[in-house]
Amino acid sequence: MTRLERLTEEEQRGLLTRLRARDETALAELYDRLSPWVLGVAHRILGDADEADEVLSDVFVQVWRRIDQHDASRGPLTPWVLSIARNRSLDVLRRRGRWRRKVALVEAEAKVEGDEPATSADLAEASVPGWPVHQAVHQALGALPEEQRQTVLLAYFEGLSHSEIAQRTGDPLGTVKTRLRLAQRKLEESLRYLKDWTA
Amino acid sequence: MSDWLGMAATPRSPRPELKARILARAYATPRRPLAWPLAVAALLVLGLAGGGVLWRRVTKLQSDLAATRDTLGLLRRPGTRVVTVPVVTNGRPGGLTIFADSLSHRWLVTCHNLTPNGPGEAYQLWFVTERGMRTAALMPMDQPNPMVLAFDLPPDAGRVMGLAMSVEPREGSVEPKGPMVFHVDL
Repeated sequence: MTRLERLTEEEQRGLLTRLRARDETALAELYDRLSPWVLGVAHRILGDADEADEVLSDVFVQVWRRIDQHDASRGPLTPWVLSIARNRSLDVLRRRGRWRRKVALVEAEAKVEGDEPATSADLAEASVPGWPVHQAVHQALGALPEEQRQTVLLAYFEGLSHSEIAQRTGDPLGTVKTRLRLAQRKLEESLRYLKDWTA
Repeated sequence: MSDWLGMAATPRSPRPELKARILARAYATPRRPLAWPLAVAALLVLGLAGGGVLWRRVTKLQSDLAATRDTLGLLRRPGTRVVTVPVVTNGRPGGLTIFADSLSHRWLVTCHNLTPNGPGEAYQLWFVTERGMRTAALMPMDQPNPMVLAFDLPPDAGRVMGLAMSVEPREGSVEPKGPMVFHVDL
């Protein structure tokens, strides 16, 4: 079963207010909504279940501690929480000096997982809130030319800088920058409607 | 918008036992205080301290300006007389310059290079009037720095015939009793 829960502005404000007021049930509610996605990001970047669990824990502790730093006028909670998950995962990846090994691991996994969206047939996760957003993001990524899509994935999930991507792909730096700029523009157009949604 | 890209990762259900552990860890974590109230408080304290310093500076400058205007006003008056009195205190050559305004009965005295007073002593200026010696000003001097004094002639002093200065106790004397530094007729 898939469902995409749309929080009205009032509901989102209510959730934020409760989080800021240290309402513990609000954090539990947010955990239920977002933990599969946070864990998904962490696992995708780190390729390690234990490390991903660690990141999951750190992310919700950070959300609880720093909820006052979330600016509701700049977007819903989901992208904010996912950005924490991504940054935290990349920190772990870099700090542990396992860059090269993880990259190899992620690449190997990508061959298995591919960059295809997970299917509801092989995943119980299809029932998690926000599943259609997952499909929408994949659809937006899939609409990109292959080289742009790969460039975006290298930047987002591997945290590579422009020059590191250029080195990896053997493309000129300017080409990498152009691809990312074009991809960013297309993704913004495709996913613009998500700014009013939260999973 | 790129932060939505995280949704491209395949979601993974966390192990059920993690939820209670993670939430317990979060609840036990003290919330980080907001940086901006601290910054505002720091700015407020700095502002108040800076304002206090500025206010004292402004007050001092206003006071200096008023004194300077008063001095200039005295010097510009047509009836102002200027008398220079060389003095020697404990072998040190110095001097006083007296600006006397006979119309407003205001006086301004500048002292240069006088020997600092001994413990418990002060220089005391006297008007020499037709009714006797009347105190004009007490000038305790602890450093050999130039000093400027402005004072008014007492209304019942009568005609001023001269000015004198003696060394008196620090609290001043009703009439000169200590050694006389100078006595000049005007």
